[in-house]
Amino acid sequence: MKVYIYKGFERFWHWTQVTLIVMLALTGFEIHGFYELFGYREAVMIHDRTAWAFLALIVFAIFWHFTTGEWKQYIPTLNLVKEQIGYYVTGIFTGAEHPTNKLVYNKFNPLQRLIYLGLKMLVIPVMVISGFAYMYLNYPNDTFVLGNLGPVAAIHTMGAFFLIVFIIAHVYLTTTGHKPLSSIQAMITGWEEMSELEAKEMVKSEMEYSLKVAKHHLITDKDRSAFLDEALQETEEKLGVKNRLHDVLSGSGAGYFRLDTNGDYIEVNKAWANLYKYETVEEIIGKNFSLSRSEKSFAQLKGNFDQVLSGETIEHGLVIRKCQDGSIGYHTLTMTPFMKDNKIIGVQGVIINIDRDNASKLQWDNE
Amino acid sequence: MKRILYIFSILVIPQFIVYMIITRTDNQCIVDTELPAEIEVVNYTKKADQKNILVADHSKFEILQQEFERPQDVTLACLSCHTERHHELMANNHWTWDRTEKLAGRDSVVTLGKRNMINNFCIGINGSEKTCVRCHIGYGWEDKSFDFSKKENIDCLVCHDQSGMYIKAKGAAGYPVEGLNLNIISQSVGSPKRENCGICHYWGGGGNNVKHGDLDKAMNSCSKDVDIHMAIDGEDMSCVACHTTENHVIKGKAYAFSSENKNRATCTHCHTDAPHNDKILNQHGDRIACQTCHIPEYAKANSTKMVWDWSTAGRLNEDGSQIHEADADGNHNYLSIKGTFVYDDHVKPDYIWFNGTADHVLLTDSITEIPVQINTLMGSYNDKGDNCESTTCSKIWPVKIHRGKQPWDPILKRIVQPKLWSPNKGDSAYWVDFDWNNSIVAGMRYSDLPYSGEYDFVETEMYWPLNHQVASADKSLQCVDCHTTDNDGRLAKLEGFYLPGRDHYDFIEYIGILLVLLAVAGVVIHGGIRIVLRKNCLHDKK
Ligand code: HEM
Repeated sequence: MKVYIYKGFERFWHWTQVTLIVMLALTGFEIHGFYELFGYREAVMIHDRTAWAFLALIVFAIFWHFTTGEWKQYIPTLNLVKEQIGYYVTGIFTGAEHPTNKLVYNKFNPLQRLIYLGLKMLVIPVMVISGFAYMYLNYPNDTFVLGNLGPVAAIHTMGAFFLIVFIIAHVYLTTTGHKPLSSIQAMITGWEEMSELEAKEMVKSEMEYSLKVAKHHLITDKDRSAFLDEALQETEEKLGVKNRLHDVLSGSGAGYFRLDTNGDYIEVNKAWANLYKYETVEEIIGKNFSLSRSEKSFAQLKGNFDQVLSGETIEHGLVIRKCQDGSIGYHTLTMTPFMKDNKIIGVQGVIINIDRDNASKLQWDNE
Repeated sequence: MKRILYIFSILVIPQFIVYMIITRTDNQCIVDTELPAEIEVVNYTKKADQKNILVADHSKFEILQQEFERPQDVTLACLSCHTERHHELMANNHWTWDRTEKLAGRDSVVTLGKRNMINNFCIGINGSEKTCVRCHIGYGWEDKSFDFSKKENIDCLVCHDQSGMYIKAKGAAGYPVEGLNLNIISQSVGSPKRENCGICHYWGGGGNNVKHGDLDKAMNSCSKDVDIHMAIDGEDMSCVACHTTENHVIKGKAYAFSSENKNRATCTHCHTDAPHNDKILNQHGDRIACQTCHIPEYAKANSTKMVWDWSTAGRLNEDGSQIHEADADGNHNYLSIKGTFVYDDHVKPDYIWFNGTADHVLLTDSITEIPVQINTLMGSYNDKGDNCESTTCSKIWPVKIHRGKQPWDPILKRIVQPKLWSPNKGDSAYWVDFDWNNSIVAGMRYSDLPYSGEYDFVETEMYWPLNHQVASADKSLQCVDCHTTDNDGRLAKLEGFYLPGRDHYDFIEYIGILLVLLAVAGVVIHGGIRIVLRKNCLHDKK
């Protein structure tokens, strides 16, 4: 199964960075005196120009990351780091599953997050700062005099060695994907080959995200369903799994509902009515929400309902609904308080249908 | 297909563009050996644009159309038109043979010059003036009684003769040889040519190119291989083109005597301080003298003296006659009067930090360090111009180091001044009598200095910053001449600072290489295990 992982800019950025760092390393170590390749003078010229190009790319990439929110990919998390290390140390040999998956909104596994963050926060700025210090503060000038080039060169050289070590490890780790070359292929084409399970995991997280976005808009804006549609569409585009997401969602769309403080339906949309197998929307208005559940699960829903009335937001990965004809369906549920003049006057929510077969596989829960 | 084109345009094309930009060869930065670029200069008119207008034809002046009896009469004739010029000359150190300067590293201001200082060639003039002053611009300096205020004793001709006929005599207190046609000579006068300067400055130390190593009679008429400025097939510049002169004050310093950083003739005067088309090369000029790269070797036409060992002097043939031995190139390697020499040609300079100030060993100094530093050129990497007498920072300079072994007083720990020359036997002059003790007694008494009565020979070193025999750009030093880990890199011995490409920190090297090796080993082991266990490997669940 192929999933779209890397956007055009990311791939451009990545390979340009590869070219620049490789050139910097090749010329840098020539300057360092390890070998003769370009000729010293050429090497210095290339190193200096490449450094400028690198700086430009960094600025560009920072801008991109912040305008697109991609920077969140690098937020370090210690969750699962142990598992990830364990995977590389033992699991990989026994054919265990990756403990973490490449997800669009979690492209990097926790170990990668740490290493890339380290790379970006430590090595690269250190290289850039020490590099430009090397370039500009080596001779006395009016403003600032560096006592001796030595420490700067030491930091720069040490950083260069770390980068080489990183590159070796990084290139090797790319071969631990679904197939040895699938990660590299993904970085070229954008599409990564994944196992069925990984892909589903990804779809799941994708939906969670779209719900969050939808919810956010539902709380703050009037035109709710438009925003929900938009969020879903955006998600699909990002995923590049338009049809598959629809498969998973069984084509039934997202349902929207609103309850008053008693738990009576004030408003539902057409998709909601369809999911619950009502002919028309009017049939359900004014009825109590108790009819949407079996008796057993209603108690839980009631508890949640009260929580939302007290101001909380509730998200259920997977719930079972009782339809009008007595059949059973599965959906995700998000409930948020409905406010007016700063007072909670009801509860509103979004449900997204899950195909029964899928649902059994997707062990969805709130955490 | 569309996707491939898309991938191509976002991945391959940018890489190609980036690669082309960063590896672009600036044609300005490359020295084109075929077509030398026109070099931009200021404060100088290029040969092609020079107009040689004769300002005055001295042969038309009546006062010069006489049979001069004495050379002093020529001087008086000169001064009859060039009135008051003698004041300039009598203040000039070509006349005074001393200058009042502050010695670097000392508080005292001293009056120091050829008159009273020592080197590790012929040591010093005291007691031997009559022959040494052949290079003095005066007549009659036989001994301490010479009257420096007598204007007729100025020798105008040695500098201004253009006939090539004017020759000063040996051992004649600065007088010219007998029988010169001073009439013709005096009518020939003009601005000094290389031959005028060279007659003294090439021949210092008793032979051609002996002292400086970069001042050689061959430079009267040389190719670009010897000196790019003076080459007759090039700009054909005279000495005074750079050593510009105003009121007889000539720009330029010889650190055999000078101590202060002033009135120097510099490259930047014409070439500016940003002469290269390359920013990094121009930056190099902040800490590296132009000479360092552009004088890759000296003594390019004739050998120069590198070592002079006085301690072997005095060996004579059985018949009492003097020994002259020469090496394969025809350079003396032994003379009875002077001892043993080593000459060399095409010498690679030594490199030191130099800020333009110097100290000198005085005859009154007690020696604390062996080899004795006859002159000390000041400077260090850390001297960035704010912590010394010099306002400019120290730069790396190429120098000739002349090593000597010369008489000293091991009891008083002082360099001694022997009397070397006399026209007569029995006058205590070493070059005639070959008796060190007597010559030192005579020389020290003449100089009013104490002598313990015991002498020995001590090793000495003298530093000569190089300025001449500049090479063409394509023959100048290249990056890797210094930026190299080779032990014979030009700056291999210049320590105390970090030079990229030469210096490494061992611990970083070890840690870095170790980490890289560990990473490679890790990959090999980890990957190896994966390959071996392939059947179990990776998502492989059939
Ligand atoms: C923006 C980033 C960088 C800047 C501004 C920079 C700048 C410099 C400068 C100015 C030098 C001194 C030689 C010269 O003038 O060219 C240098 C040396 C060097 N650079 Fe960089 N550099 C950068 C990135 C890198 C990277 C990414 C690497 C390696 C992966 C690297 C490796 C080296 C090495 C090994 C040396 C030689 C150090 C020595 O022996 O003292 N540099 N760099």
